Amino acid sequence: MIFEPILDLFRGKAITIPPLDGALRANTALDEAAVLAGLPAPDNLVWQDGRLLCSSGAAVLAIEGSTRSQVAEFPAEVTALAAAPDGRLAVASDDGRLREGGIDVPLPGGIGCVTALAYGPDGALWLANGSARHPASGWVVDLMEKGATGSVWRRAPGMGFAREAEGLAWPCGLLPDASGVTVSESWRHRLIRLEGGRVTPVLRHLPGYPARLSPAPGGAWLAVFAPRNRLIEFVLQDVHYRRDMMAEVPREFWVAPALRSGQSFLEPLQCGGIRMMGIHKAWSPSRSYGLVVRLGEGLAPLSSLHSRANGRRHGVTSAIEVDGRLYVAARGGDAVLTLAGDA
Amino acid sequence: MTFRERLQAWRYNLVPDHAIGEILQKRWTDNAIPFLALVIVVAGFGSAIPGFFRLVSLQDSTRQLGEFSLVVTGLTVVMLGGGIDLSVGSIFALSAFASVAAFFIFHLPTGLAFLAALATGLIFGAVNGYLIGFLRLRAFLTTLVTFIIGRAIYDILVVSFGAKVQLSDASSDLWDFIGDGTMAGLSVSVVAALVLAVVTHVALTRSRPGWHVLAIGGSRRSAHNAGIRVRRMVFLTYVFSGACSACAGFLIATRLSGAGPGTGQGLEILALTAAVVGGNSLGGGRGSVVKGLMGAVIVLVMTNGLIRLGYGTGTNQMVLGLLLAVAVTIDIRWMKNRHKVLNEVYVAPVYLKLGETQSAAPGSGTPYELNNRLSQADAIGLGELEGPEDVILDRDDHLYCGTRHGEIVRYFAPDYTRSEVFAHVGGFPLGLAFDRAGNLLSCVGAMGLYRIAPDRTVTRLSAETRRSWTSIVDDARLRDPNDLDIAPDGKVYFTDSTKRYDAHDWTLDSIENRATGRLLVYDPATGKTATLLDGYRYTNGVTMAHDNRSVFFCESWACRIHRYWLEGPKVGTAECVIRDMPGYPDNINRASDGTYWMAWLGMRTPSFDLSLRHPGMRRRMARRLPQDEWLFPNINTGGVVKFNDAGEILQTFGDLTGVSHPMVTSMREHKGFLYIGGILNNRIGRYKIEGANPDWTANDAYWGAGS
Repeated sequence: MIFEPILDLFRGKAITIPPLDGALRANTALDEAAVLAGLPAPDNLVWQDGRLLCSSGAAVLAIEGSTRSQVAEFPAEVTALAAAPDGRLAVASDDGRLREGGIDVPLPGGIGCVTALAYGPDGALWLANGSARHPASGWVVDLMEKGATGSVWRRAPGMGFAREAEGLAWPCGLLPDASGVTVSESWRHRLIRLEGGRVTPVLRHLPGYPARLSPAPGGAWLAVFAPRNRLIEFVLQDVHYRRDMMAEVPREFWVAPALRSGQSFLEPLQCGGIRMMGIHKAWSPSRSYGLVVRLGEGLAPLSSLHSRANGRRHGVTSAIEVDGRLYVAARGGDAVLTLAGDA
Repeated sequence: MTFRERLQAWRYNLVPDHAIGEILQKRWTDNAIPFLALVIVVAGFGSAIPGFFRLVSLQDSTRQLGEFSLVVTGLTVVMLGGGIDLSVGSIFALSAFASVAAFFIFHLPTGLAFLAALATGLIFGAVNGYLIGFLRLRAFLTTLVTFIIGRAIYDILVVSFGAKVQLSDASSDLWDFIGDGTMAGLSVSVVAALVLAVVTHVALTRSRPGWHVLAIGGSRRSAHNAGIRVRRMVFLTYVFSGACSACAGFLIATRLSGAGPGTGQGLEILALTAAVVGGNSLGGGRGSVVKGLMGAVIVLVMTNGLIRLGYGTGTNQMVLGLLLAVAVTIDIRWMKNRHKVLNEVYVAPVYLKLGETQSAAPGSGTPYELNNRLSQADAIGLGELEGPEDVILDRDDHLYCGTRHGEIVRYFAPDYTRSEVFAHVGGFPLGLAFDRAGNLLSCVGAMGLYRIAPDRTVTRLSAETRRSWTSIVDDARLRDPNDLDIAPDGKVYFTDSTKRYDAHDWTLDSIENRATGRLLVYDPATGKTATLLDGYRYTNGVTMAHDNRSVFFCESWACRIHRYWLEGPKVGTAECVIRDMPGYPDNINRASDGTYWMAWLGMRTPSFDLSLRHPGMRRRMARRLPQDEWLFPNINTGGVVKFNDAGEILQTFGDLTGVSHPMVTSMREHKGFLYIGGILNNRIGRYKIEGANPDWTANDAYWGAGS
């Protein structure tokens, strides 16, 4: 009513986040999904030469049926993968290097945080640089600093990298098509489209932080790596507490999104997360969550797969569909999952 | 400490923010706005109009005010019962005419003239009441109809008999005295209004019919279900209102010695405005006579003042209308949002910098290092029990615990698979202790200190202590009695954890962190309870030292254990024994080897410790976020810690899986086993202690080997 804006001056405006409803209605599909492989922190999935490749720490592994084999290992954590149409594998690592088919690719200055790679239908390589200030492993710092220094780059066949957009808040998913690219801009909870130098939002008010995108018949798959949380949004607005927290509290115990939570009693706890009579409520506020969203025409959400607050398949950073099967990398849940693609 | 932090500490620890929430809880805050309006109106017009407060002028105004207050009091009662009476104006006019006619035309004595007026009022009130109360017509429309009909009758009568009245030579001293005289400076109408107001106030607040009216206004259906004769009571409220209007009509008749076409015109709007502006809810059930009187003064001062300032009837009506609109808006918004405002301002955090603590993380090598041993405990009552805060065993090895349903449940030895409800107490039974005679004493959350005899009779021992001088909300009442222990002389030492939150909201006290916990003693010889210590951050567990010379108690949110001396050189004082623990202590109990067990209900987290140094952040959090989202200490991991008289930590047990015993609020050693309770848990754990004396029981240790 008319009093609300006046009262807000004294009491502060309520902080709200989009609900998990409609196409995003919660379920337990990810927790019920079959485990294809249990491995530590699986991150980026790509399909190459009839096999599933997955980055895990500093290694790239191939998963074929029940066997796993190491394809390559790097001196630093692998942060993004992409399979070129010609069979080469592009690998970015946390030390700010990019290799294509095993050969170092020179990068222009300012790229040191490669969060996603993708080849367009024209053979161009798209690259998302999450932040100009932090490496990919420092994502939580960039978020809590409210960073918006990310950029998206494109290397046309036979050319060098050219910047397509900058000032983005942690771009970390790419879905190129014939005329442009769709980018997930995590800290702003949205998907944007870059086309001819113009930035237009296509999907806004996501209830989490979007990660990588991958094509699907008639749409796309979107991995959401962490949930939005009202306490965290509040801390993001509370300058002094946030600054002191970043200065004094160990990073894994911050009031900040996480890929997994509940591992240590030193982590923050919210009232709703208290175990009552042996039950951890599925709907309780959580720093981590598992969410994969199926996007349809125009990138509108159609359906979703969840692992809720009491689940374990949290922190999904990548989901790809191949021949009607969906593969999901739950980085916080230390597992690669597989489901029917129409789930 | 930075300058900013120091400022915050001063700001939040010295300014009593909590007073706002406590004052808002008071019912009388409802009167604050109308009272403020009253002061402003009187002061405003008093200074704008010269001679406003002169005696003659006041005399005339108060006479009018007396009559008006009578009408408003009647209307207030109707409104409290959930109705509305628009016919007060025409009843007022008809009654005035009835008494005038009786006196001037029929030459009846003044007393009979008054009765004529009263009868008129009662008849019209009864008509209203019958239609609305018994036939259940809409109050608004029904009284509108009686208002129109009454007015029409009055107009006809005035036209027909007005001249006769004017020509009459009837006179009476009594009549003139009522109209013009004063008693001790007060006019009859003021005295009548005051008497009626006092009687009505007492009736409403202290008598059965009054409560019935308020109950009906609050919720008609509930009142009906509670056995109140709703229809009859509603009927009576209208009769009462009619009688009040009739009295007022009689008074104006004596004052003016006549009745003109304008008598009582627009009175219903004035009276309604007065009742609502005073703060009586249009929905019924909430309000008082005093509010009605305040409204009457506001409205009358305002209308008279405006007239004397030279404004016309139009302006006057306009101001009244606006006043009514504002009052109704405030009434509805305040009714709807009062509890929200209270919720938002109630939590008033203070600043606290906890000391650096030793880590309790596994592998840290400190004495506090937690492990997984409690996860091996056998479960008792798994899935049946809800919230065994404390556990205790009797001489026959039976196991007792409280539950959140307000029951004391007994599990039978030796296998603890069978159980029965030993006693139903209500509230939330927390701490337990056996006395010398085998009575079970319990601190019952939200209720007090109770005794359950072996024959299961429940007796209240104490529910209050002395009120402190600075309290706003009565802090004599025990709000969250938590744990107790009994000295050899029978005195019961127990804690009341907080004055700010009820027992079921105990976790919210950690957000506020205000030091309001008390240590109390109940003396069975006198039946009195005394406050020994006050001003601790959530006093919780209590136990007698093995030598009975002191009492250990813990201060949960400050992570400290204190010792209160009962004798020796430090008698009557408390000293801190253990400080800056990494966990929040709960109950304390004796161990068989001359040491003590302490439960940890949760663990400190760096993010929450930091928030304790940011009280402003916690306050904003409490206002801007729903409670489920608030940052809490980690009460999903607890443990059991053993310490000795010197305050040294000897052993720690935990359940890091969080499956069996996430939060531990109590433990009791008995014959080599440790029995573990948790206020939010669904079981009691039974853990075999290595190397413990297999014969030791607390009952023997306290009261000697008994029969």
